[in-house]
Amino acid sequence: MPSASHKYLTLFVAEASEHLATLQSELVRLEQEPPAAPLWDAIFRRMHSVKGSAATLGFSRIVDIAHAAENLIARLKGKQGKIERAEVDLLFAATDALVKEIVKLDKKEDDERTITLVDRLAKAAQALPDPALTARPVPPPPVMPVADPALPRLDVSVVLAKTCAAPGARALIVQRKLKAMGTLLEMDPTPAQLMQQKGGARITALLATLTVTDEVREALVALPEVDHVEVRIAPVARPVDSGFPVSPPSPVVSPPQASMRGQLTPAPGRRDLTPVPGRRDLTPVPGDADELRPEPTVRVRAEALDQLLDQAADVMHGIARLREAAKRLPEHAADRFEAEIDRLRRTARELHGRVMSARLTPFSSLTERLPRAVRDLAHRLSKTIELDVQGADVELDRTVIEALGDPLSHLVRNAADHGLEDPQTRQKAGKPDRGKLTLSARRERDKVIVEVQDDGRGMDAQALRRKAVKSAAMTQEAADALSDDAAYELAFLPGISTREDATEVSGRGVGLDAVQRKLESLGGKVSIRSVPGKGTTFVLELPLSVSMANLLLVQVGGELYGVPLHRVLLTTEYDLSARGGEGFEARSLVVMGELVRAYGLAKLFGLPSLAPPGPRPFVVMEVDGLRFAVSVDRLVGQEESVLKPLFPPLDRVRGLAGITVLGNGRPLLVLDPRGLAELCGIHDPVKPAPAAKGAA
Amino acid sequence: MPKRVLIVDDALFMRNTLRDIFSSAGFTVAGEADDGVQAVNLFRELKPDLVTMDIVMPYKSGIDATREIVQLDPGAVVVMCSALGQESLVMEAIEAGATDFIVKPFRGEDVLAVVKKVLGE
Repeated sequence: MPSASHKYLTLFVAEASEHLATLQSELVRLEQEPPAAPLWDAIFRRMHSVKGSAATLGFSRIVDIAHAAENLIARLKGKQGKIERAEVDLLFAATDALVKEIVKLDKKEDDERTITLVDRLAKAAQALPDPALTARPVPPPPVMPVADPALPRLDVSVVLAKTCAAPGARALIVQRKLKAMGTLLEMDPTPAQLMQQKGGARITALLATLTVTDEVREALVALPEVDHVEVRIAPVARPVDSGFPVSPPSPVVSPPQASMRGQLTPAPGRRDLTPVPGRRDLTPVPGDADELRPEPTVRVRAEALDQLLDQAADVMHGIARLREAAKRLPEHAADRFEAEIDRLRRTARELHGRVMSARLTPFSSLTERLPRAVRDLAHRLSKTIELDVQGADVELDRTVIEALGDPLSHLVRNAADHGLEDPQTRQKAGKPDRGKLTLSARRERDKVIVEVQDDGRGMDAQALRRKAVKSAAMTQEAADALSDDAAYELAFLPGISTREDATEVSGRGVGLDAVQRKLESLGGKVSIRSVPGKGTTFVLELPLSVSMANLLLVQVGGELYGVPLHRVLLTTEYDLSARGGEGFEARSLVVMGELVRAYGLAKLFGLPSLAPPGPRPFVVMEVDGLRFAVSVDRLVGQEESVLKPLFPPLDRVRGLAGITVLGNGRPLLVLDPRGLAELCGIHDPVKPAPAAKGAA
Repeated sequence: MPKRVLIVDDALFMRNTLRDIFSSAGFTVAGEADDGVQAVNLFRELKPDLVTMDIVMPYKSGIDATREIVQLDPGAVVVMCSALGQESLVMEAIEAGATDFIVKPFRGEDVLAVVKKVLGE
């Protein structure tokens, strides 16, 4: 009887889930390229690995499915020629079933469908010749070992001699030596991977052992053809806890070298977050010994990083409070004190920056499941679609990655359904049958640009104008006045679809507005480039991280508010009393030679304005190229702050983006310029101006 | 006391080369075998400190001979002598219990470096 409370269950669930996620992408590749032996081996090993661990833990249903699938994989590998779609479908079904089993491990009842699926896999395997009878057996894949979590972990790094003629065999000897000293948890690359490679390879391993580091080092140095050995105690952060189930596997975090070793001393400020060295390749690197330095990685629970980030933020707030308090000290004491606080603040910022970089997650964590999704979509839509993912190793903050999942799959569905034509239409247009969908991520300074590009029919600007007019979003004149590029952006209005018919796959265009809202809430934006007949590209501009915000502090009706500085064009003073008096709702002022509508923030929020009549400050903001100004009672200053999301019911208030804590410990509401623009009735032409709220 | 070596190779040329290398380094060549069967018999008889073992040999491969020798004496020190490109066979031999390996073509110092390390010298 499998025990759901087994102490290695969490680890098993996390690792098996990762295997299965990768397996799906590999299965998709089976259909796209003539499958080569290494791909088959990888697929086999993953399935075998899941089976092996499940067997150790006694999960017999998982073992049954994985075993049957493994058999089919072994025979498919031996089969010459094309792989049938039905066979791949069956392997997908097995993968799905395994994912389901793993998620619901604690349920005990026998599943009828498992038995049927195992039966189908077995029948499919029986129909094929057994490669074991005709060829050398597939090398036994590694079974994931488990070790007592109380045992110390050692990070071991071994560099083989450049002259080593058989690195695979040498690595095997290293492996045997390590196994003789403890439980070998990981080894990368494996001896099999090093076969027929050049010498000079660096091998990293994780060993659970009571043997002290020096002894392990000496034992390895004593081996022939071993040039360089490093052994150190691995940071303790293993995902062994009682929490169950773990829905998404904790991402493997590879801390950038700089942040773990202190080799760089970045200047304070949020730009610190930019130097993020990419992941080092683990394969042999010839030349410089420094290049061979291992970069140990540990698996950390994502939640632990969240807590760490919160605490780093708390430290920063604490320091800000100290700074406030220091202002009340006599001048001679305050100077010393402030110098110390400054030093502390720099350290705290650095700490915060490093936690932020530890939270960086590769784009691939989002795209891994896409090949499978696109394959299924293509089958359902009777289209052939090639998915190309670029920049999978570009890293983004975990919060951004998590929030990006839905918008991204929406855009991909949309492109597959609406963007790409069916093969017949493509033929007529002189295009290849196979539609191309490209997903790319790239870093641009402190931003990441994600593009979803199709080579389909392009968007129909005229149809969008028609729709916008029909849905009363704008007048015919206004629509006609729009350039094609501007008309494409109409697709982001609620209720506007790019196609007449709603489809099962992507609905009636509902959601592009949601995509835009999501991006905005992350401090990013989305735009469209489209060329009729050539295709459409959705360009998503994302911040590397979301939580630091530079705020302009303003006072209205006795309350302080923060305005995100990246939305502020400028501040100015203006005397509107001559023309409208107090309580004005909307007037205009001239900003940089342009007439800009001005609104009273107090009025919008229903607060009393405490400013005396006469000139008052205005904050001029820009949202999507639209400029508007709001009047405030007083400009207070600037603050860099850690933005936290609003909690209910505040999250429903339009015009608010988040909350933060000021140096004096008081909470500060942060304004959402887009929401403000909507409140003013200048941004969202579909909805009537919410004058009622402004007047309330 | 000099260490005693058993040299196993089906090629006389290789046996002679190895004998020269070991003799000049102060080892005693206790015996020579030119196939796997003979190797196991001589091991049982001579109880050498070290065996150098060719892999591809008639009657009984070096891998099988190694497996038998290690069964006779789990502490036996067997160094495989393999040709380039036989890596998977070497790995098989290691799984069978071989202590270490050298890859032909080799120089005397390469052989001695490996042998001294595996003998803990």
